[in-house]
Amino acid sequence: MTTSELAAALADASANRRTIAIEGAGTKRAWGGTAPAADVCISTRAMNRVIEHRHGDLTATVQAGASLADVNRDLARHGQWIALDPPFGDRATIGGIVATNDSGPRRHRFGAPRDQIIGVELVRVDGVIAKAGGIVVKNVAGYDLGRLMTGSFGTLAAIATATFKLYPIPPASRTVTIETSNIAPIVSALAASQLTPTAVEVATHPLRLLVRFESIEAAADQQAAEAAHLADTHGGRATVASGAEETTLWEAHAGRPWSGDGAVLKLTLMPADVAPTIASLHATLWDVEWEAVGRAAVGVLMLRVGGDAARQARLVESLRARLPQGRGSLVIVRASDDLKRAVDVWGPAGDALPVMRAIKQQFDPHGLLNPGRGPFGL
Amino acid sequence: MDKSFVAAIEAIVGRDGILRDPVELLAYESDGLARLRETPSLVVLPHDAAQVQGVVRCCHAHDVPFVARGHGTGLSGGAVPVPGGVLIGLSRLNRILEVDIPNQRIVVEPGVINLDVTRRVSPDGFYYAPDPSSQQICSIGGNVAENSGGAHCLKYGFTVHHVLALEVVLPNGDLVHVGGAAVDVPGLDLVGVIVGSEGTLGVVTKATLRLTRIPETVRTILAAFDSTEAAGNAVSDIIAAGIIPGAVEMMDRLTVEAAEAAVHPNFPKAEAVLIVELDGSAVEVREQFALVEGICHRRGGTDVLVAQNDDQRARIWKGRKAAFAAMGRVSPNYYVQDGVIPRTKLPEVLRRIRDLEIRSGLRIGNVFHAGDGNLHPLVCYDESVPGQGELAQQVASEILTYCIDAGGSLTGEHGVGADKACQMPKMFSDTDLDTMLLVRTAFNPKGLCNPGKVFPTPRLCGEKPGPYTPHPAERAGLAERL
Repeated sequence: MTTSELAAALADASANRRTIAIEGAGTKRAWGGTAPAADVCISTRAMNRVIEHRHGDLTATVQAGASLADVNRDLARHGQWIALDPPFGDRATIGGIVATNDSGPRRHRFGAPRDQIIGVELVRVDGVIAKAGGIVVKNVAGYDLGRLMTGSFGTLAAIATATFKLYPIPPASRTVTIETSNIAPIVSALAASQLTPTAVEVATHPLRLLVRFESIEAAADQQAAEAAHLADTHGGRATVASGAEETTLWEAHAGRPWSGDGAVLKLTLMPADVAPTIASLHATLWDVEWEAVGRAAVGVLMLRVGGDAARQARLVESLRARLPQGRGSLVIVRASDDLKRAVDVWGPAGDALPVMRAIKQQFDPHGLLNPGRGPFGL
Repeated sequence: MDKSFVAAIEAIVGRDGILRDPVELLAYESDGLARLRETPSLVVLPHDAAQVQGVVRCCHAHDVPFVARGHGTGLSGGAVPVPGGVLIGLSRLNRILEVDIPNQRIVVEPGVINLDVTRRVSPDGFYYAPDPSSQQICSIGGNVAENSGGAHCLKYGFTVHHVLALEVVLPNGDLVHVGGAAVDVPGLDLVGVIVGSEGTLGVVTKATLRLTRIPETVRTILAAFDSTEAAGNAVSDIIAAGIIPGAVEMMDRLTVEAAEAAVHPNFPKAEAVLIVELDGSAVEVREQFALVEGICHRRGGTDVLVAQNDDQRARIWKGRKAAFAAMGRVSPNYYVQDGVIPRTKLPEVLRRIRDLEIRSGLRIGNVFHAGDGNLHPLVCYDESVPGQGELAQQVASEILTYCIDAGGSLTGEHGVGADKACQMPKMFSDTDLDTMLLVRTAFNPKGLCNPGKVFPTPRLCGEKPGPYTPHPAERAGLAERL
């Protein structure tokens, strides 16, 4: 499928005032606000090409419906990749990952999609095709509509193609697994050190850190040894993994907390608040099954919690009550309709909500794109 | 300007917050791009965010256009005043409000100088990564407006990668908070849109920035090449080897000569000088540095100099960062261009620039952020020769066409401002620009906030820009243009 065909589909649906959902692989269909089924669902799956890989320039332009895994397999032929490792990475599409600004453990080093997107071609609800940014990494001409798309949940426009800056695939990797009863001193010591991990993950049951180093072999080895030593001197027990053992470890980690039952909440915190928050979860959640996984030094926790909707709602409310505006957030990501009806999916919007609504009004005046799904009902 | 309006502004900022004397207003006629000037009707120097909000509210109520200005170092006329409008100078909002080392955050007002952020946190082992060449004087507010980069943005990104939250006075006078000190605040990425919007979406009154740990090791190498192509090939080999240097800079013969005359960095005389800096873990840097050295030799690099200490490294960077200002040593006047190309198109674009040099008879120096394809051609001219100023402008504009033909951009870091607004259609279609304007309308429905910048208007672009006239202070010998 081409951008023009996507544009024709949008123009047709909007001319008839039909509500429209844009969908890639559907891996995040349950995310966002509860919404009635749209009148029209436009799938991007036939837009699955890598349009151009400029390996000498470390950039690539890809269609929105391509899966991240397929794209990265293609880019790997020149030893490069889009440095994103969000959940469902084997199936999730570029468009969906951008629209939700979703990321994974390597966000610690490489950032989120909003940090890597350098250009976008989008289709407005009326079928008008527009682009912003470009194919060069350094570029300040015009407004950054690519970044505006990140996290917009498809409520402003359809993404047709996106251009990313790329990274070389590092030749070697080592992961230090650190078991400990208190992650705080180890995470602080890592942050104060000059080690350069690509991921610093926390996981519970048992409580542990996974610290990954990816570089040339000698550097990965040396840094892993140094991190292990640092952990040992701060109350942890460290083991270093490489090769197949390391791959298995990260494959298992990527499934967490998604493979278990229950609601999944996304908590963002000040980095120093991650350890105390986990400690307080241990104290509060004695009555339900739960696990937390996330970016210990960035300040993101994905929290899976069992129990019924009423119990989950109580947890959401008590956690939100402790988050000062701007210094943390809690979004209900995957949950039963009961929970999504019981408590607000997004939490407090802050004082900039009128601007977000004004942007939505400009881009989609009749509210046809993904109604009800996006942040704060945009 | 309406007397009741001025009285209302004075009631907000006090008598010492207002400048009306024509001599005092002169300093605010232009920013770093001295060619574009306009006298503001009123300069307002608020003391805090509440006063900024009061001033903007008042402008909104009276339909008076306004322009925010940091320290006036911008190079695209983004802070040029609007006729009949108010210029809001933010230099008094210069406090560092909060330093949070455990969370690697700092909260600053917009008038804080870029380098002062690093100075404040370097004793703790941290720094603020975006390092524009003007970092000793430019303001964080201006950096936010322009999404400033610097020599090290190849590896560490631009301002937008280091701003977490902003307090912004919207064009209607509402004060709002976008982003957050914690990451991934739900909702639209308004920080991502406001950073780089060149002051057209509001006035930033506070910024929460991310701090970066000082790397364990930094190593810098300088090599001379007998052509820019050869130096460019060395850069390609470095990238192909999977190395992302902290910085890769290239200077050609003319800019090396100028830097040598101005700050004596002791650069070799050569057609091209390449500076490569690696940073990170000691082991990684040691191994990769050996590869880079090998590549430089293999590609014909001579006079290879490895900085042995911080002093030598500082001297290399002094030579590079002084390059713009140093052009004054080799030419009475020069036009600084800022364009971007995909790095691999460098040989082709430099060839076209060389042809243009011969055709126009104007010398063109080149400073180049070689890692990310950001070219800074410096077009030399003599404004005492009739017509040469216009010619230089045409030549600089022609170079942008080459950049866009190669798939690049009109501007990599200086911004569109007033300077390049009329060139935006070279890069973007009408529907692209219309779509961007949806965002501006959402923030700035009355169009009072920094009008005439970024986007072409018939009024601006229908007329030909006039010839350069020297600044009155320049004519009087009181100032020189850097």
